[in-house]
Parts: sequence; structure tokens; C-alpha cells
Amino acid sequence: MDKGETLLEHMERQGMSRRTFLKYCASLASLMALPPSAAAAMAEALGKARRPSVIWLPFQECTGCTESITRSHSPSVEGLIFDMISLDYQETLMAAAGFQAEEALQNAMKENYGKYVLIIDGSVSTGMDGAYSCIGGRSNLDSLQEAAKGAAAIIALGTCASFGGIPKANPNPTGAVPVSDIIKDKPIINISGCPPIPVVITGVIAHYLTFGTVPELDKHGRPKAFYGETIHDRCYRRPFYDQGKFAKTFDDEGARNGWCLFELGCKGPITYNACATSKWNDGTSFPIQSGHGCIGCSEPDFWDAGGFYKALSTPANPLKYVAAAAVAGAAAGVAVSFANRARKQKAKSEHETATTSDLEK
Amino acid sequence: MSSISQIPVQVLTANDGLTGQAEAVLTEIAEMLSRFLETGKGDSIDLRSLPLSPADKIWLDEQLGRGEVEIGIDAGGRSVVTETAYAGVWKIEHRDTEERIVAELIEVTAMPEIVQPHKTDIEKSYNTLQSSLKQIS
Repeated sequence: MDKGETLLEHMERQGMSRRTFLKYCASLASLMALPPSAAAAMAEALGKARRPSVIWLPFQECTGCTESITRSHSPSVEGLIFDMISLDYQETLMAAAGFQAEEALQNAMKENYGKYVLIIDGSVSTGMDGAYSCIGGRSNLDSLQEAAKGAAAIIALGTCASFGGIPKANPNPTGAVPVSDIIKDKPIINISGCPPIPVVITGVIAHYLTFGTVPELDKHGRPKAFYGETIHDRCYRRPFYDQGKFAKTFDDEGARNGWCLFELGCKGPITYNACATSKWNDGTSFPIQSGHGCIGCSEPDFWDAGGFYKALSTPANPLKYVAAAAVAGAAAGVAVSFANRARKQKAKSEHETATTSDLEK
Repeated sequence: MSSISQIPVQVLTANDGLTGQAEAVLTEIAEMLSRFLETGKGDSIDLRSLPLSPADKIWLDEQLGRGEVEIGIDAGGRSVVTETAYAGVWKIEHRDTEERIVAELIEVTAMPEIVQPHKTDIEKSYNTLQSSLKQIS
């Protein structure tokens, strides 16, 4: 793509029609919770946009975020939009390695100083001066501080970069922190989720291209267009919650009828994300539609927030009870343990349905 | 459990899973039609943004029925624009090149926007046709 070419000109040169573009904007407007009538306005603005330089640095992460994006797009129109950002550095995807790769990074930062979008996935290790996670002999902490200086905006991709994620979970041996704990003088957009929804990333980039600004963010720095409502608010099972119809186990009558999974520990009511509308696996389904409650993966510290199968209205920290038992005396703890074991054994011998409380033991 | 036949299988009826949301959508469509008749201004509903259960979607499709017109669009994947049994109410389904549904809309208008060619494209085609004619003559 020529440097001065707009997205629409580039698409037309590739043989794509205006209708294709309008269609893409209709799907994007749907995802961004904009009224369908906004599609035409978006097409107009996005068509005139020019591609930005993007530098993507992976830190303490599992590559799940990259997997999520690369598997879900190609070769859709979102993929094409993604092609049209100038992805100047991405260690997992780029062909170059070693000194060549590091040179590409330095060149991209120099040529586009003050204008590039920096994407970070993974948390930043601060323990032992960042020595727990190094690339090319440099700590992630050091790389982040250098790359952030020339960035126009930073996208913290995934729960690890946004809130610390698994690396930050107790006892956080590497001193992992989110990007926002290190960088204070640049706009940071958190796209949380483990992994995040791929099209949300495209949506944020499209927003940046369409309006030339960072989208409106919530108190956790996430774009409101995608994280403005809870999973619960957009869930097709929500009416059953309102009617007081709940599944009590994963295979009872209520579960078969598709009733609300609140009592089985669904974290939908406190989790902000777009899963219920954009869905996963090419729009096939999302966890609740597949019969499992939301685990709240796009919320801060979700790993340490208690059991996934504990209903929100019941106490969610089993460790408290262990501590209480210890204070009350070892005998009480042993008694609880025996009672649980006996119940589990009884259920096993009678082939009873396992309940959520069994899963917690 | 001694045999597979003892596993309790229950066949759900078509009304199982209805949440009552689809009925609200139908009322909204009636409102939009009324507005269109009064002002000539079209409107649309994004079906994917609504918490409709699979049963709700089937119910809504049955209620809207099918009209006389079906338009296929081949642009970055297949799109189907179908007139419902109610004139002026269209159902639009956009798919990408891998057949994944990317948008599902109800549009209340005389002719959905995606069907109509853009003025710039018409101007371009006029110029192309003119140069073709020059080459022929």
C-alpha cells in the first residue's frame, strides 16, 4: 500500500467494492454497539483514513492473545484492515529474527517517532529489576520504557498487560504488574480478556483510524463500546434470571432448558466484555451458550477472586474458611475435611450427579 | 446405570427457550413501520446486539415470514437481503468470505442501502462505458 493511499483506495485497487466496505462497517458498527445507521458514516470516515505504524511487543505472556487474533481473522475483511496497519514489529509473526529483528524495531521507532501505536501483550516483570523476563538481553521493563517514549498511544492487549493476569496472581513470584503501573504519561487502552476477543482489537484500531482519537474508556481503561455492558446484560439467558429460573446443576432440568447459570457460579453480572454479542469460534457460541458460566476473565485479578463455581451471592473465598477452621482448632478442620470426603465418596459410589460444591473441594 | 436406554432423553418443544424478547422486537418493527409511513425515514435493528435465545430467533423468523423479493449480493462474501411477509420490512444477513455471519439486521425502508449503488460508482461506470463505446466506434 502506498503511504498516501487511503483504506478505500487501497481496497478498490485490490478489487474490493464499496459494498464490501459498507458491509464491513455494518458488522463493525454492530460490534461497537453503534446504531446500524452509523455504518454509512463510519464507511465515509474509515475510507479516508491512512494506516498507522504499529509496534507489538510480547512480554510475560502465553501467546494466547496472538493465537486469538491470527486464527480468527484471515482472510476476512478484518484481516485486510489488519494488513493495512503497518505492523512493523511482532516477534511471533515476523520473518526476521535476532539482530535483524531488533534493527527493524529500532528503525520503526525512529521513523515513526511520536506517531506509532504500541501494542503490548503480557505483564511486565519488575522483580530483580525485570530479570525474570528478557528478550535479546534486555528486560521487558527496559524495552517498554524505551518503546513507550515515542508512542502516540498504547494498547495493553489481554488481561496480563491490562491488569497483570496469571503472572500477577498470588503469590506473584516475578513481581508482575500491568503496563499502566509503569507508563503514566501516554494514553493506554486496555483490551482485557484471556484471551481478548479478536475483533475488539480490530474495532479499537478502526476507531482510532475513523475518529483519530482514543475511544471513550471505562474506569479500568477499557473501551466502553466493547466493555460498556456486562455479559449478564447482553446474555440471552438474562430473562430467565429476571424470572427467577436457575439451573442448579450442570445437567438438571433447568440446565437443559437453558436457564440462568448464576447459581452455578456465572460471573456474567460483574464481567464487562462483548462475548455475548460478538461470540467466539467464528461467531459460533460463547461459554454461557455452551452451558458453562462466565469466569470473569476480563476483570482485574479474576484469578484471585475465588472459585469459578461459587455463586456471586455466596462467600467466594474458600481460604477464609480454612483460616477460620485453623483458629477454631484443628479438630474442626479435620471434621469438615472428613465430612466432605465422606460426601464425595458417597456420591461416587452411588453415581450421583456431581454438584458445583463437589468441584470446589 | 446399566444401559444406554436408561439415560433420560427429553425432546424440547418449539416454545422451550422463548424469553419473550422476540415479541418486543416485533412491536419495535411495527413502530418503525409506522414512523416510516409518517416521515419516510427508514430505520434498522441490529439483531446480534439483542439478547435473543435461539428459540426467540426462530420464533421471530416465523412471525416475519417471507415476501416476494430475495436479493443476493456477492461482495466480500455472500449477503442475502430478503423481504419479509410485511412489505417494507427487510431481513439482511451478511456473511464473510468464509461463510461466517458478520451482521444480521432488520431494515425498515423501501430499498435497503446496501442494494443501491453509490453515486460515485455510477459516475465511474458512466465514464467506463463511454470509453468502451469510443473504442468500439
